[in-house]
Amino acid sequence: MKTAAPRHHVIVGSGVAGAQAARTLRAREPEARISMLTLASLPFYNRYDLPQVFRGRQDWHQFLVDPPEYYTENRIELRRCTQVANVDSQRKVITLGHNEEMHYDTLVVASGGRSYLPEELSEFRHLLDGFGSYEQAMVVRRKVPEGGTVMLLGGDMIGLDLARTLLDTGHKVVLVTDEHTFWPHQVTDDEKKELLTVLERMGVEIIAGDCEGGIDAIQEGAKGLPARRVIFGGGRDRYADVIMPFYGLHPSVEFMLGSGVDIERGLLVKKSLRTTNDAIWAAGDVCQIWSDEEKRYRFYYGWKNVRAMGELAARNITGEDEAFEPTQDESLHIHDGVTIHSPFWEYA
Amino acid sequence: MKTDIQIAICGSAGEGTIAAGDILRNALAGAGYRVISFDAYPAEIRGFGKCVARLRVTTEQAYSLKEKSDVLVCLNDEHGIPHVGEVRDFGAVIYEAKSIVHLAEGSHVSGHIRPAQVPYPLAIRELSERATGAIRSRNMVVLGYIAGLFHLAKEPFEKIINTKFKGKGKAAEDNHKAFDAGYETGAATFKLDDVNFGPPGKGLQAVMLNGNAAVAKGCLDAGIDNFFGYPITPATTIMERLAVEMPKRGKRLLQTEDEIAAISTTIGAGYTGARSATATSGPGLALMSEMLGLGIMAEVPSVVFVSQRGGPSTGIPTKTEQSDLNIAIYGGHGDAPRIVLAPTNVEGCYRCAGKAFEMAERYQTPVIVLLDLYLSNRYETVVMPAKPPFEPNCDKPVPKGDLGAGYKRFGFTEDDVSPRALPGMAGGMHVVTGLEHNELGRVNEQPEMHEAMSRKRHDKLKAALQHPDFTHYKRFGDEGRVDVGILAWGSTVGECLEVMFLAHLEGIACAVMKVVMLSPFPTEAVAAFMDDCDAVLVPELNYQGQFAHLIQAETGRPVHRYNRVTGTPMRVEDIMAQVRRLAKTATRKAA
Amino acid sequence: MTPQPIYLEEKLKEVQESGRLAYRSKSMPTWCPGCGYFSIVDGLPGALNDLGIAPKDAVVVSGIGCSSRFPFFVNTYGFHTLHGRVLPVATGIKTANDALTVIAVGGDGDGFAIGGGHVPHAARRNVDLTYLLFDNGIYGLTKGQTSPTSSVGFKTPTSPYENPDQPLNPLLMVLTYGATWVGQAYAGRPQQLETMIKQAIAHRGFSYLHILSPCVTFDKTDRTYVRLGDLVRDLPANHDKGDLGAALHLAMDTATPALGVFYETQRPTLADALDGLVEKAGGSVGQKRRTA
Repeated sequence: MKTAAPRHHVIVGSGVAGAQAARTLRAREPEARISMLTLASLPFYNRYDLPQVFRGRQDWHQFLVDPPEYYTENRIELRRCTQVANVDSQRKVITLGHNEEMHYDTLVVASGGRSYLPEELSEFRHLLDGFGSYEQAMVVRRKVPEGGTVMLLGGDMIGLDLARTLLDTGHKVVLVTDEHTFWPHQVTDDEKKELLTVLERMGVEIIAGDCEGGIDAIQEGAKGLPARRVIFGGGRDRYADVIMPFYGLHPSVEFMLGSGVDIERGLLVKKSLRTTNDAIWAAGDVCQIWSDEEKRYRFYYGWKNVRAMGELAARNITGEDEAFEPTQDESLHIHDGVTIHSPFWEYA
Repeated sequence: MKTDIQIAICGSAGEGTIAAGDILRNALAGAGYRVISFDAYPAEIRGFGKCVARLRVTTEQAYSLKEKSDVLVCLNDEHGIPHVGEVRDFGAVIYEAKSIVHLAEGSHVSGHIRPAQVPYPLAIRELSERATGAIRSRNMVVLGYIAGLFHLAKEPFEKIINTKFKGKGKAAEDNHKAFDAGYETGAATFKLDDVNFGPPGKGLQAVMLNGNAAVAKGCLDAGIDNFFGYPITPATTIMERLAVEMPKRGKRLLQTEDEIAAISTTIGAGYTGARSATATSGPGLALMSEMLGLGIMAEVPSVVFVSQRGGPSTGIPTKTEQSDLNIAIYGGHGDAPRIVLAPTNVEGCYRCAGKAFEMAERYQTPVIVLLDLYLSNRYETVVMPAKPPFEPNCDKPVPKGDLGAGYKRFGFTEDDVSPRALPGMAGGMHVVTGLEHNELGRVNEQPEMHEAMSRKRHDKLKAALQHPDFTHYKRFGDEGRVDVGILAWGSTVGECLEVMFLAHLEGIACAVMKVVMLSPFPTEAVAAFMDDCDAVLVPELNYQGQFAHLIQAETGRPVHRYNRVTGTPMRVEDIMAQVRRLAKTATRKAA
Repeated sequence: MTPQPIYLEEKLKEVQESGRLAYRSKSMPTWCPGCGYFSIVDGLPGALNDLGIAPKDAVVVSGIGCSSRFPFFVNTYGFHTLHGRVLPVATGIKTANDALTVIAVGGDGDGFAIGGGHVPHAARRNVDLTYLLFDNGIYGLTKGQTSPTSSVGFKTPTSPYENPDQPLNPLLMVLTYGATWVGQAYAGRPQQLETMIKQAIAHRGFSYLHILSPCVTFDKTDRTYVRLGDLVRDLPANHDKGDLGAALHLAMDTATPALGVFYETQRPTLADALDGLVEKAGGSVGQKRRTA
């Protein structure tokens, strides 16, 4: 018989990792109190599904992985639109952005990453559109007319996934390449060249931005022309309906800076996913896991890996002592010279 | 697209909660929607008690507020949290995004929003401060946000803000700035709820009035000459409105020293031929009872508006109840018949108020118009008639010229109403008295005279049941035999009509009869309605079932009672449960 | 001057010609023979007649009590109301129709026991009406109980051992309430009484006339004609009726009640005040009201 009060597990983030952590914690510790804090305004949905907005799936209810009742029935206290401002690991207290304090027994940081934007583009932020949330996806959907043009800057695998859908739905895609193209895959120059050829064959217009001094300016489009104009080094320009930066993800860890746990770019965790603080764990795109082979802390991407991390952290919090093993092949293949295969595009 | 959206705004008294609700309902009415609205506010004088302004905005006629709101605005966490539960799934919860004080866990609205509801954090304080330099205009920020988020036209809001803050200089300017700041934010916010305003109905030229304002308007349109009153919740705003309007028309209003003086002056003025009225609540009506008896005995016209609240004694002054039906109809000593009207909606308040003056004059008697707090404070869009539908003079005058010594102020006539000479008329001198009297008005205690005069005082009121251009009662819903008939009065009728529509959806044959004239009672019509019903339900906001008693006494037939005394309006769902239960019994009987 | 003989026929002729009989009702007063109130019912017609106020333009309002039967005994419009409510009813009448001359009458119990809450307000508002208070220090209609002006020690059926309560001083009260005309008369001096009623009615504003009267049936010991006749005196010749302090001083002397006008001043009446509100609101004063 347990006499102590049920533990309060607080999960920061409601993505694949956070959701899986909550699901596992609930299954393994039925009496525990579970809170899930997220900046999102919707309950957990698959970000990988977002290109579907171009295929007629626009109602947010259709994107939810679990119906709203799931949270009530499983007593997962979901706090949306909620920012974490600070974590005091001494007192085990989180301060939320709106100035509310919350006590935790264990903290699972699964805050993921957000789009990275190179410094030189920050002055054009207001002219760029992201694709990191349902709302942003819908905004893009509304901005791009039938047969309209979308310009992808950088072109990470998230962006290229969107490009595949856009081509399929009769839109024009312009890709401005740079060193982030195909992020997070590490590709050699030769591989990159070959991959771009395949993309061109698929219908993507490639502009080698990085070879010509990058982007000089982004402006509102001229009257009668698409809404945005990009001016490249040397005066060349190109119009598009939306400009979307896809420069990979950047771990969301700012709120952990005062917590005392070790941070490099992400939270540094052991293979058990425990941070340097016994009560704090991390899972998903936010954590760097020690790799014995590479002798360094590294990120593991791909939804299968991320989900496995969520589950593993929860198992270890509830008494197991298991080590993380990546489950996903991270390499990029070209099939028959015409199709690109990436584990990032394979999800349930 | 039909619009049916309920918005609730909660906050403290000092945060402009009620003002925000007021501007919102007026703006939406101005935009052409129908609005029904009821605010709940605390008894504290100027404290920080909880206020909730609720409004239901529709394109079709609505009869009551809904159980669930579609949109909730929380101006502060403490007052907002208890109301988050009333928002329906996929409805919107708008709340202050950032607290300036440290909050203990669970004391921010965000922690109480269900996964199916849509959260809209809004930096209300910050937006107000940035727009105006002060946090005072938070309510305007919120209004702007609502307008922006739901794509409502700005103009009706701007117009109302202009009117409301006319001549207040910087306040008007600040409120516009705060509204605009909220509007921009709202317009830029991605809308995730499924609350959608359709276009308003075409050409609905309505005004936004609450029951008390409608009473005041009815008084003015009926040509009220004098008003005497003593402040009492929830009737006071009738006097407040008239205090502004009557002097503009050269008319006189006086705040008396108590309710006894209020009814005494009213009857004194009525005696001179002036149209005069007073307004009070249950405790005041109790004090007035003796003087009303004099009005009945002396056959002097007077109009008394009574807005009921929780009783007995001081009771629950800021909560609604329908427990003064007995005192209104029977209150006082002796056989004291009077006319009692109970309007069922805001438009009815206007009509009953004006008609009360006609009837008081026509039948030479006090007329009580019975409202309750819910109806007094409930706002509805009302389409006003082009010209006041009230007769300016219904007096039965004496023949012109000197009446001589034989003038019979209380003469027996065919309709039992005697021609009335007014002070100042040559030859009409007479004394009216609370003592039993003969036709001349002279004291007479003979048994025959007391019987004859008692009959006269009762019988003359029968004609009121046919008073022209007035809805004494009305049947709604299915014709012919029904499973369940609802007999309702006063503010509860709206909920009963909503119940009837629900019952129809569930295949229950249901009809509602509202009774507006409670005294004299339209016995025949009510009995005929009851004949059509397998079961009769009487829902009312009192413990005893006062209306049910009245119906049973008048018709001698049984009814099913449904009584509630929670201080809040009837809940549609509660009445519906009774209807379902009765319908089942009715079906069993039929089978 | 030697008293001249009065011949009944001549007197009758004089009364008939005066016009005052038009103000008398066909109903004869029901008061006990010898009641002081007879001189009041005699005095009011004289006063109205002298002031040229037609019977149709006067309204006599009363409460309940011996004195309140008064409206039945005069031929004007009359409103016999409830116990204690004479002043608010009269206020309502006057407010609704400025053209009427409103006379409120009532006894000491009616005005200062049950109706005591209304007196200050009629006075402070300066309602343009005349309040004739018949003070006999007893409840006569209910057969002789103690009233708020009964003397300490007075024995009645409800105070069989003695009345322990201090009597009120209505004059003092009404003066402090802000009445603009305050006087005292005695039923045993009918001519002076009539003159004072006339002055009270002529006053623009709230006039209060306190009329001392015996109750010949139920008070055989205290306020008899003999005792009252001995006690009353005229106001000092040098009394300044504009001096409220002096008036208060005189009113405090209850041992030897003074007769005459204690206090008189002018300030806006209730009607003036209400018309002022109409002007402030931008309405037009004197808009015809629905009265005769």
